[in-house]
Amino acid sequence: MTAALQKTPKPKVVCAPPAIEVTTLTKAFYNSDADRVTLAVSDFSFSVARGEFVCIVGPSGCGKTTVLRILADLESKLSGEVKLHTDDAPAMVFQEASVLPWLTVAQNVALPLKLKGTPQAQQKARVEEMLALTGLTSFANARPSQLSGGMRQRVSVARALADDRDILLMDEPFGALDEQTRLVLQQELLRIWEATRKTVVFITHSVDEALTLADRVLVMSPRPGTLVADLKVPFERPRDVVEMRRDKRFWDLTYEVWNLLASPGGA
Amino acid sequence: MNTSSRPLTNEEMHRLKSPARRERLFRRASLFSPLLLLLLWEISSQLNLIDRRFFPAPSAIAQTAWSMIVSLELFDHIGATLRRVGIGYAMGAIPGVILGLMLGLSQTTRRLLGPIFAALYPVPKIAILPLILLIFGVGDMSKYVLIAIGVFFLMFYNTLGGVMQAPQIYMDVAKNVGATRFQTFRHIALPAALPNIFTGLKLAAGSSYIIIAAAEFLGARSGVGFFIWASWQTFAVSRMFVGIVVISFMGYLTILLIEALERHLVPWAKQ
Ligand SMILES: Nc1ncnc2c1ncn2[C@@H]1O[C@H](COP(=O)(O)OP(=O)(O)OP(=O)(O)O)[C@@H](O)[C@H]1O
Ligand SMILES: [Mg+2]
Repeated sequence: MTAALQKTPKPKVVCAPPAIEVTTLTKAFYNSDADRVTLAVSDFSFSVARGEFVCIVGPSGCGKTTVLRILADLESKLSGEVKLHTDDAPAMVFQEASVLPWLTVAQNVALPLKLKGTPQAQQKARVEEMLALTGLTSFANARPSQLSGGMRQRVSVARALADDRDILLMDEPFGALDEQTRLVLQQELLRIWEATRKTVVFITHSVDEALTLADRVLVMSPRPGTLVADLKVPFERPRDVVEMRRDKRFWDLTYEVWNLLASPGGA
Repeated sequence: MNTSSRPLTNEEMHRLKSPARRERLFRRASLFSPLLLLLLWEISSQLNLIDRRFFPAPSAIAQTAWSMIVSLELFDHIGATLRRVGIGYAMGAIPGVILGLMLGLSQTTRRLLGPIFAALYPVPKIAILPLILLIFGVGDMSKYVLIAIGVFFLMFYNTLGGVMQAPQIYMDVAKNVGATRFQTFRHIALPAALPNIFTGLKLAAGSSYIIIAAAEFLGARSGVGFFIWASWQTFAVSRMFVGIVVISFMGYLTILLIEALERHLVPWAKQ
């Protein structure tokens, strides 16, 4: 079943040069106190073309965050190969709250620019643009403690977009949000992505979200995580997050992915 | 984003702002709570509930103080003590914070240098006064050094704790936004440790005055500590109390100053 799906034609993807190539990535954690080894990711291979939007779905604890952290060089791999064909390091939106409490919203968003030494005027313009994009303009001078959880997450997204890097890694950025806000932000993200054509690796445990956003969905097995399926999502761009739910293919694919998640390794 | 909504009523506004108002009131009132103790003392002394030879009434002490203020006698002593505390404090706090941040950020440095500080920390500061006097002489340098040592350890350990307690995610963010080592130090570790640094600064201010008082008893010709000692030697109890009150008040004001600075520099930490 998986094999058949992988054979669906993907003409654009094939010619685009890959931005990310991961081959037989393996990662384990060792707890020396308990002398226990946790195999988190095992022989995971995938590649992402330049300008492609890829979602990774998989059960909790299957190693999604671990893979992303390895891509961002925040964690070392045990074996396998990870190649990033870009000039700058990937920008990351973390799964947990990652806004810095001592900075205002605007300062948080400006952080990557400030550290790079971008001229003040340019920083200001860029930050305003990012805040408008994420609907935070009226909270520019607020402290993170004065924001809701969803707003803090939007600050993280704005910060990751601020210095316009080629690869964007997003770890369940909308996981903690309500359905409505999530839909709005998904639409926003699609709009941003269609405008900028960044390479995006987006982790989610929501099949629905993956199909809404991605060009391709990678399905992972339970821990130790490995690739179970690589599905092409056929919907044309630009997408309308609400309208696409009228498409029968959306529900067929949803069924497909759920089947894979329910019986991993069954293929 | 804002849908039109009714304006808040005056009563709602009042309730909304009342915690902030109460906070301001408390802040002001807390300035006066030590005065209550003085009032109790005054009454007990006036009513002869306590021995006036040892505990002259605050009003009598105030009289002595006033005459000394008029004669400008006390200010030289205050100036000398303040200078020693100020310089010694800076000499201890700055390296303490810097080393605390460095050891907090780098596990290797922490493993190499940590045990040295751990071994030196328990040495009582007053116990090494003779040694310090021997090395640095009886001049002001020995006072600076003594205070600096005491302040250093408090700042070092509080800062180190602050960095180590900071959530790992802050360091991950630093790395991901491309911070250099120095930028991580300056823009992540320092602010993350700032609440702890201020705890250290307050503790260190208290110890500084303890150390300077003891140091001035034994090896100085000026300063509030010297003044207390000299008054004791001539059994001028009122003058001695003036000295005690003055040095306590100096410590109290220093801590108030640090707290004001803290509110200004660490606005994100809930007091
Ligand atoms: N620093 C670590 N030390 C030890 N074990 C870890 C560490 N980080 C992750 N693990 C383990 O690796 C496995 C994968 O964790 P990971 O965070 O990648 O999962 P995930 O797929 O992101 O899950 P979720 O969807 O719940 O976020 C888990 O079993 C976890 O316990
Ligand atoms: Mg995760």
